[in-house]
Amino acid sequence: MSDETEVMSTGDRLIYMANQIARNLAAQGEGEAVASTASHIAKFWDPHMRARIVALSAERPDALSPIAAQAVRAISA
Amino acid sequence: MTYTRETDHGTPAAIATGKSVTLTIDGQAVTLPEGTSIMRAASLLGGSIPKLCATDSVESFGSCRLCLVEVEGRNGYPASCTTPVAEGMVVRTQTDRLKKLRRGVMELYISDHPLDCLTCGANGDCELQDQAGAVGLRDVRYGYDGATNMGQAKDQSNPYFDFDPSKCILCSRCVRACDEVQGTFALTIEGMGFDSKVSASQGEGFLGSECVSCGACVQACPTASLIEKKVVEVGTPDRAVVTTCAYCGVGCTFRAEMRGEELVRMVPWKDGKANRGHSCVKGRFAWGYAQHQDRILNPMIRASVSEPWREVSWDEAIAYTASEFRRIQAKYGTRSIGGITSSRCTNEETFLVQKLIRQGFGNNNVDTCARVCHSPTGYGLSQTFGTSAGTQDFDSVMQADVILVIGANPTDGHPVFASRMKRRLRQGAKLIVMDPRRTDLVKSPHVEADHHLPLRPGTNVAMLTAMAHVIVTEKLYDEAFIRERCDGQEFADWADFVSQPARSPEAIEPLTGVKADEVRAAARLYATGGNGAIYYGLGVTEHSQGSSTVMAIANLAMATGNVGREGVGVNPLRGQNNVQGACDMGSFPHEFSGYRHVSDTATRSLFEQAWGVTLDAEPGLRIPNMLDAATDGTFKGLFVQGEDILQSDPNTHHVAAGLAAMECVVVQDLFLNETANYAHVFLPGSTFLEKDGTFTNAERRIQRVRKVMAPLNGYADWEIVQLVANAMGLNWTYDHPSQIMDEIAALTPTFAGVHYDRLEAEGSLQWPANDAAPDGTPTMHIGGFVRGKGKFVVTDYVPTDEKTGPRFPLLLTTGRILSHYNVGAQTRRTANTAWHPEDRLEIHPSDAENRGIKEGDWVALKSRAGETTLRAQVTERVAPGVVYTTFHHPETQANVITTDYSDWATNCPEYKVTAVQVMPSNGPSDWQRDYADQAKMSRRIAPLEAAE
Amino acid sequence: MKIYVSRDMASVALGADDVAQAFADAGCEVIRTGSRGLFSIEPLVEVETADGRIGYGPVGPWDVAAVLDGSHPNRLGPVDQLSFFAGQQRFTFARCGVIDPVSLTDYAAKDGWKGLDAARALAPQAVVDAVKASGLRGRGGAGFPTGIKWQTVLDAPGAQKYIVCNADEGDSGTFADRMLMEGDPYCLIEGMAIAAHAVGGTQGYIYIRSEYPFAIYTMRLAIERAAHLIAPFTLEVREGAGAYVCGEETALLDSIEGKRGQVRAKPPLPALKGLFGQPTVINNVLSLAAVPFILAEGAEAYAAVGFGRSRGTMPVQLAGNVRHGGLYEIGFGITLGELVNDIGGGTANGRPVRAVQVGGPLGAYFPPSMFHLPFDYESFAAAGGLIGHAGITVFDDSVDMAHMARFAMEFCAAESCGKCTPCRIGSTRGVEIVDRIMAARPTPPSVMPAKAGISLPEGGAEEKRDPSLRWDDGGLSKALYSRSPARIDTSLDAQTTLLRDLCDTMKYGSLCALGGFTPYPVLSALDYFPEDFGATAPIKEAAE
Repeated sequence: MSDETEVMSTGDRLIYMANQIARNLAAQGEGEAVASTASHIAKFWDPHMRARIVALSAERPDALSPIAAQAVRAISA
Repeated sequence: MTYTRETDHGTPAAIATGKSVTLTIDGQAVTLPEGTSIMRAASLLGGSIPKLCATDSVESFGSCRLCLVEVEGRNGYPASCTTPVAEGMVVRTQTDRLKKLRRGVMELYISDHPLDCLTCGANGDCELQDQAGAVGLRDVRYGYDGATNMGQAKDQSNPYFDFDPSKCILCSRCVRACDEVQGTFALTIEGMGFDSKVSASQGEGFLGSECVSCGACVQACPTASLIEKKVVEVGTPDRAVVTTCAYCGVGCTFRAEMRGEELVRMVPWKDGKANRGHSCVKGRFAWGYAQHQDRILNPMIRASVSEPWREVSWDEAIAYTASEFRRIQAKYGTRSIGGITSSRCTNEETFLVQKLIRQGFGNNNVDTCARVCHSPTGYGLSQTFGTSAGTQDFDSVMQADVILVIGANPTDGHPVFASRMKRRLRQGAKLIVMDPRRTDLVKSPHVEADHHLPLRPGTNVAMLTAMAHVIVTEKLYDEAFIRERCDGQEFADWADFVSQPARSPEAIEPLTGVKADEVRAAARLYATGGNGAIYYGLGVTEHSQGSSTVMAIANLAMATGNVGREGVGVNPLRGQNNVQGACDMGSFPHEFSGYRHVSDTATRSLFEQAWGVTLDAEPGLRIPNMLDAATDGTFKGLFVQGEDILQSDPNTHHVAAGLAAMECVVVQDLFLNETANYAHVFLPGSTFLEKDGTFTNAERRIQRVRKVMAPLNGYADWEIVQLVANAMGLNWTYDHPSQIMDEIAALTPTFAGVHYDRLEAEGSLQWPANDAAPDGTPTMHIGGFVRGKGKFVVTDYVPTDEKTGPRFPLLLTTGRILSHYNVGAQTRRTANTAWHPEDRLEIHPSDAENRGIKEGDWVALKSRAGETTLRAQVTERVAPGVVYTTFHHPETQANVITTDYSDWATNCPEYKVTAVQVMPSNGPSDWQRDYADQAKMSRRIAPLEAAE
Repeated sequence: MKIYVSRDMASVALGADDVAQAFADAGCEVIRTGSRGLFSIEPLVEVETADGRIGYGPVGPWDVAAVLDGSHPNRLGPVDQLSFFAGQQRFTFARCGVIDPVSLTDYAAKDGWKGLDAARALAPQAVVDAVKASGLRGRGGAGFPTGIKWQTVLDAPGAQKYIVCNADEGDSGTFADRMLMEGDPYCLIEGMAIAAHAVGGTQGYIYIRSEYPFAIYTMRLAIERAAHLIAPFTLEVREGAGAYVCGEETALLDSIEGKRGQVRAKPPLPALKGLFGQPTVINNVLSLAAVPFILAEGAEAYAAVGFGRSRGTMPVQLAGNVRHGGLYEIGFGITLGELVNDIGGGTANGRPVRAVQVGGPLGAYFPPSMFHLPFDYESFAAAGGLIGHAGITVFDDSVDMAHMARFAMEFCAAESCGKCTPCRIGSTRGVEIVDRIMAARPTPPSVMPAKAGISLPEGGAEEKRDPSLRWDDGGLSKALYSRSPARIDTSLDAQTTLLRDLCDTMKYGSLCALGGFTPYPVLSALDYFPEDFGATAPIKEAAE
C-alpha cells in the first residue's frame, strides 16, 4: 500500500507552499502580491526554510509561479 | 473546607428592566428588581421559604405547593415562586396557617416515598429530607395500605447515574432542566395524576433515549431519584473545590466535590461565567481517566524505540533528557531541537515550555496544537481586527438576533455553549447554518435553522464572498459603521471585488451546490435581522483556505456593522480547554506571548532582560516543518508536552517518518499515547485535578485551575518543565504557578492586570486586562478596532488542490462527537465509550447503495495518503458525495487518510477535505495491523528489577 | 307544511332524526333547529300554523299522522307559552330551538349581528366599557368580571392578541355550552367577533371537547359561512382530547399550543401572556354568547335583571334525578328550591329530594334545608359552595353521601393532571380515607348507588421493611416511621379529621380548581350529611 501513498519531498513542499501563498494573494494585484508574499515568507518561515527556497528557485527556475519567484528574489536580496 | 451546597434562591434572577419595587417580607422592607419572585426576594433577605419544585436554574413551576405565602389583601395562599414582588406588597412567609398547609403537603409527599433514608445514597444531601424537617413534619397519618409508586424498577442504563422512580417526587425539575437548561427535551412526564412518571422519551431507558447525559437532570433532582453512581459508591462529599474543566474551549467551572482524597463528583458551578451552572457529559462525568490504570506514573527512558521502556528515577530521566538535548545541539546545531506546548496544560505550564525553548534551547522552534486547529483564526482576525481572538463573551449570544454558524457543530463540540445558543434560538433568534452536514442545529426539538447552506466541502470562501456580493450589491451594508471604523479605500477595493458577477450566488452555485436563492435569503437575513453574531469552528479553519475564510467572515461582520457591541461579533469556538491560552502564551514559532513578533526588537529586549539571555530574532519551525526537517536530517530532538501528534496530525505516515528520524523524542503525557511509540523519554504528566494554574477559554476568560488532590506522578507538569530547565542550566525558582503568572503579566501588556489575587476576587478575567481595562474586556473592539481601522481583505476563492476524480470520487470530512474528545485519550478511558465505542463512516444511502454497503458493514476508506477500515453508518446527515468520520479512536486512525495539504497562511492542515474512495472490506487494513503490532512492541515496559 | 324538529345531540339521542325523517317522508318541509331545552318533551315537533308554532312532544316516527291532524295527545300548544319557557328570561338562548342554527338569514332575521354592528360603531374602549357596565361575570364558574379581563387585554401591548373560547364543557350535568353551539352558533361567533374588536384580537380559537361532535360540526360550518362577516377576524375550532383538566383555562391554552395539557401557574395572567405568550381573552361559551345581547340591547338592559353583584341571566341546567330536566335561563336571584322543586318538579321517580349538587362534580352538595339560597355567586360562596357553570344535579333519598364524597375524590384522581402535589397525591389518599370511613361506619346505608364508572389504577407494591431499623432524628425518618401500621389511627374520628385536613390542604394548596374545588362536594357531604360518615349529629358550625 505504501507505494500508493504520496508524500511530498521537503523541497517540493516548500515550492508548493510558496506558490500557494502567492496564489492566495494574487487577487491583490501583482505588485502588492509580490510584496505580501515576500513579507509573509519573511515573517513566518524559519531561516533554513528561507535559504532553501532561495536555493530551490535557482535550481528549479520554472517551479515557482511568477509572483512567488519575484517574492523569493525579494527575500534573497 | 467543609461541604456546603451552593445557595439556591429558588427562581432565576429577574430579567433586568431597570425598575425596582419595594415590599415588606416578614416585617423587613426590601427593594428589588421588578419581576423578582417573592421566593427569591425572601431568600435574598436571608430567609428561606420551604420549596421542592423550585430551583434557580429553571423557571418557576408552582407544582409542589410548599412555598405558599400570605399576601395582605389577596385571597388564598399564592405560591411564592410564581408570584412576582409588587410595590407595597406585604408578605408573610411564616404563619401557623402556612405551617399547617405546608405540613399537609409534606405529609402527602411522604405518604408515597420509600422508608430507606438511612441507606439512601442521598441521605444528608436530600432536599426532601431537609424540607420535611423545615416544615416540622413529625407525623404521617396515611399508613401503609394505600396506593404507592414505590417498588418500581430502577433504570441503571446510564453509565454515570441511576434513575429510581420510587424516589421521584414528580417535581419536574429534571424535565425542566432538560428542556430549559440543556435544550434536549429528552425527558417528559408520562401518564396523569397519581400515575405520572418521569420518563425518557420514546419510553426508552436513559441510555437508549435522546438523553445526552449532560447531568442537568441529576443536578436538578432534589432527592435520590436521579443520583450519580459514584455518590452511591463513595458516599456524599465532605468538601468542594472550584476548578475549571479540562475538556473543550467553553471552559466550564465545576465544584470538584471530594470525600477525603477521593473525587466524588464534578458539579457545575453556578457562578461560573462561561457555563452558568451547566455541564456536558464530558466535564460532568468523564473524569475517570484521571485515575485510570493506564496512567503512567514513573518516568521511563530507552535508547531506541525498538527496546522496551525502562522505568527510572525522576533524576535520571531529567538528567538524560537534558544531556540528550545538549548533545544533539552540540552535534547538529542550536536549531536542531524544538518543542510543542500543550493546549490542555495550564497557561503557566505552556509559558514555561516556550520559555524553555526560547531561553534554554536558544531558538524559536516552538509550536502548539493550535497549528492544526485555529491557527487561521489567529492569523485572520489579527490581520482584519488586530487581535487573535474572538470578539465576545458567551453571554453575548443572548443578545443576538441572527446567529450564523459556520463549520461548527456546537451541540457535539461545545455542548454547554450550544445549550445557551439553543435557549436564545427558542426565544426567537434566527439561525443560519453553513455546513456540509445536517448537524443537530439544522433541525432538532424546538430548534430549526431558518437557512441551511449545505455547501460542498472546500467552498467556504466562495460562499462567504457570495454573501458579501448580496450585501454589497443590494446595499445592505452599514455605511456609517464602515465610514467611522474601517479603512475606506480597502472597503471600496473589497466591495469592487465582491460585486463582480462571477462572485454572485448564481455564479458560484455549481461550485457550492447551494441554491442561489437560499444564499441570497441568508445574506439578507444576516445583514438586516438585527444583531448578527457569527460562530465558527474547524470547518472554517481546517482548509487550504482557512485563513481566507476567517478574513471573509471578518469582512462580513465589518460590512454589516456587527462588531464592537454585545450580541454580535466573530466568535471562534475553540477546541481545547486552553488552546486560546496556549496561543496567548507565545506558543507559536514567530511570536512571544501577547502575539508580538520575535523580530520586534523592543519586545525581544524586554524578554532578554527578564531572562538574561540573547533571544533568536528569526521565526522557528512549525510542527509540519519540524517533521519535514526531521526527515531531511536537520531536526533531531523534540519535547512534546501533552499532545499526541501522531494521532491528531494529518498524514500519519509522514508524522511517523518524521518522529522515527529523530534521536530524542521526549513525551510528557498521562498515557503512553501514539506519539510515545516513537519516544525515547517518557515523563509522566499530571491531570488538571492535581495542579494549580489557569486556563483561558474561547471567550478570552482566564480562570483558575485548582489542585484538589496530590499529583499521582509526584509532580505537576510545570514542576517537571522546571526540572528539565534547571538540568539544562537555567536556574528557575518558581514555587507556585502564581509566580509564573506574575512573570507573564510583567512581560505581556494584555495580561498586565492578571494576578492570582485578582482572579480569586473576580472569579475570572477576560483579557485584555490591564490599566486600560482593569476589569477585563468581555467585548472587544468597542468604539474602535485594536489595529486602528478595521481592514477589509480581498479573499479570492482559490480551490484546494485536493480534487475528487475517478480514483477518489468522494469527499471525506472529519469532526467530533459529543461523548468523545479529540484523540480520545481521556474519553476512551471512561464509560463514555457506551455512546461511541468506535469511529464510524457516515455515508449517504445512495453512495452506500452504489457500493453495496449496508449499515454496520466494514468498509475500506482510501485516499492518496493512506488507507484504513471502519464500519459504515448509512445516513442522510451527509450529502451524496460526502462522507464523514470522527477521529477519536487510534484503531481507526482517520488521519492516515488525511493529506498534507494545509492552509496557505498558517499550514493548518486541510482535515476537512480529502478525496477518498470507499469500498466494502473484510477487516483492518495492512497499515492498521502493522500499526497495532508496532504499538504493542513499543509500549513494552521492562520488568522493574531490570530497571534497577 | 313546515315542521320544526331539533337536531340537538340530546334530541337526536331521544330519536329526533327518525322523527324528522318520518315527517319528511310524509312530504313535510322539515326544518332542523336547536333544542328548546326541555328534555321531557323531546323529541319535540313544532308545526307551523296560522296561530304560530304548535308543539307536540314527545313524539315518535309513528305519530306523524296524529301530529299533522292535530289529534296527538301530547299536543303542547304554542311552545313558548309552556310554563317552563314562559318563566324564563332568554337573553342568550333567545334563538335557540327557534331558528335553523346555520341559516344566516334566520340569524339576521332574529336580531343577529346587531350587537356586532353596534360594537363596530364604537371605539374598542367603549365596547369594553359596555361589557363592564353590564356586570357580566365569567360564566365558566369563576365569576370574574368579563369587562375587566377585556380591559387588561386591551391595555396589554402585543403584536398579536387572541380570543379563545373555552367550550370544554366537562362537568357532569352541564350542557348549556353544547346546546348553544348546536342551536345558535352565530351567537357565539358574534360574541367572539365583538371581543376581537374590543381588544384588538385578530385570531380566535374555540376549544371544544371531542365528545361534542355535533357542536364541532355545527361550529365549523357556521364559521365557514360567517367568515366574511367577521373578517378580518378569523376563527378556528380546536378539538380537545378528553382530559377534564383541559377545561382549566391555562391547561386549555397549553393544549391549543400542542402541548400536554397542564395547568400553568399564574401569574402571568393569560390576559397578559396567554396563547403563544400573547395577550389573550379566554372566556366561556356562555360569557361570550351573552355579549351580543349586551351590545345590541344595551348594558342597562342586561344589568337590569339579577341579584346583588350577579347581574343578568344565568342559563341554569337541571339534571340528575329530576322530573323536568333541561335548560332554564333566568335572572340571578331565583332560589335553589324554586329551581329544583317548582321548575324541575322534584325527582323523576317521585322520591324525596335528599341532596342537590350545584356546579358540576366539584360543586357542593346542598340539602333541602338550604333551598332558600338565592342563585347568586356571593350567596353560594358564603354557604361553602359555588355556582360554577350552573349545573344542578338532583339526588333522591337513596343517595349515600359518603359514596358521593368518595366519587369526588375519585373523579379528581382520575382527572388530575399530576402537576401539583395536593391534587396528584391528595385525591388518591382521599379515596382511601373515605374507603376506611365507609368500612368503619356502623351501619351502611341500605341503598348503595352503583359505583361511578371510574376506577383507580393499582399502585406499586409497598416496600415492607422494619421501620425500627430506620430510625434517626431527621424529620423525614421520623415522619416515615410514623407510617408504621401500629401507629395509624384508623378510628372514624381520626380518619374524619384526616379527611378534613386533607380537604384543607387540597382546597388551599392546589394549583387549580380541580384539586381546589374537590373539597367542596366532600366537605359539604361531611357537613350536611354526617350520618353517612358514621357520625351521629350534624356539625352545625361547619355548615355556616
